[in-house]
Amino acid sequence: MAFERTLHNDHEPSDALLLDRVRQSDRQAMAQIFDRYGGMVYSVALRVLKDSGQAEDVMQEVFFQLWKRPDGFVEGRGSLAGWLLVLARNRAIDQVRRRKPTDSPDDVVLVARSNLASETERNLLMEKVRGVLKNLPLEQQKSLELAYFEGLSHSEIAERTGDALGTVKTRIRLALIGLRKALAA
Amino acid sequence: MKTKKHISPEDLALLALGALPEGVSAAVRVHLAQCVECREQLAAFSGDVAMVGLSLPQHPLPTGARQRFLDRVAEDAYSAKPAPAEKPAKVHTFPIWSLVPWAVAAGLAIFAYTLNGKIGALNSQVHDESSKVAALKAETAQAKRVLDVLTSHSAQRVVLTAAKTAPQPAGRVLYMAESGSLLFQANNLKLIAVDKTYELWVIPVSGDPIPAGLFRPDATGSASVLLPVIPSGVEAKAFGVTIEKAAGSATPTAPIVLAGAAAATAGE
Repeated sequence: MAFERTLHNDHEPSDALLLDRVRQSDRQAMAQIFDRYGGMVYSVALRVLKDSGQAEDVMQEVFFQLWKRPDGFVEGRGSLAGWLLVLARNRAIDQVRRRKPTDSPDDVVLVARSNLASETERNLLMEKVRGVLKNLPLEQQKSLELAYFEGLSHSEIAERTGDALGTVKTRIRLALIGLRKALAA
Repeated sequence: MKTKKHISPEDLALLALGALPEGVSAAVRVHLAQCVECREQLAAFSGDVAMVGLSLPQHPLPTGARQRFLDRVAEDAYSAKPAPAEKPAKVHTFPIWSLVPWAVAAGLAIFAYTLNGKIGALNSQVHDESSKVAALKAETAQAKRVLDVLTSHSAQRVVLTAAKTAPQPAGRVLYMAESGSLLFQANNLKLIAVDKTYELWVIPVSGDPIPAGLFRPDATGSASVLLPVIPSGVEAKAFGVTIEKAAGSATPTAPIVLAGAAAATAGE
């Protein structure tokens, strides 16, 4: 997005600029992207897999995929950070559930609401997200965590919590919408 | 639009999380293929899902993870595996100058290999032509850089030998401090356990040793490290190789398997 391309609060090159350079096989640019988002991606994979070796494998694969096919991420389809996080989380869940990759990177389309290329904004947003999730009703938090970090389907969550299927579905939707609204406020 | 039954927001939220059973997901995807409205809602939920990942505390990366990634990228960028099919055994005690034709051959092999790959790719992906040419240029530049280091009179040339006993393992370093270009090639290395790796170190005149790449020998005990990502302008007093755990290490672990002091810049 034009917004993301031009905003550099930390005087750092934008993601779009770095991606342009990665397309030219610029290893320094790839290293900068890795430095910018490696911690986030690794932390998500580690939380899901609970094993540093496996988490690193997922992180390496996600970034190497970007190096090999930078066009797999299409500008306008969301933020690079969000895209990397979704890929890492999905790959980690696939690994936990011992299944083949369920989606291609090309299928990942998401709405970006923030410029995560800026470290300052990234840190602020992390704080905010933590606060919002903490303030969600406990049942919503629980359902969302089971789906996001453990990769359980809604019926598995219902089985685990003893709640009705419809209740689980509603809680997850409300949790995501609650997060969206709070971040937009 | 009037009669089309949309996917419920609940199901779209679950799909964004990958929490819909497969059979249901397939049906939902059929609808999504034709419904912009539902696709937009799904993208919004996917954006929300991405945010959830940000709630986690940041963990430091495992030691060496960054270097391993950069090494992998560098290896990929160079496509630098000069076909081991030739004769890997003949690398014992030749003078340094005999590396020049070897390097030329290796450079040409790399170039030919990548060019071949490009030709195949171009046949099927004509629309990618410009990016392929850019990649080829980069690889050619790297091959030229390799040759520059090998043929430069000002490059430091260091032979690394085993610290004691049998004269088997040996390594050679070519290093240009000003550009931070380093080539390393070793022979007769002992095989190591799968949870271990060899790690190359640049020992600067002042400061701590700088990791210069992880490597494992092939079946013949040969290994190489080409142009690892290291800072430029670091004057080296020595080079060393240690055995580290597979993840690599930020500092060398004794004992030093191979070591060599850097002589005054060669070429006079």
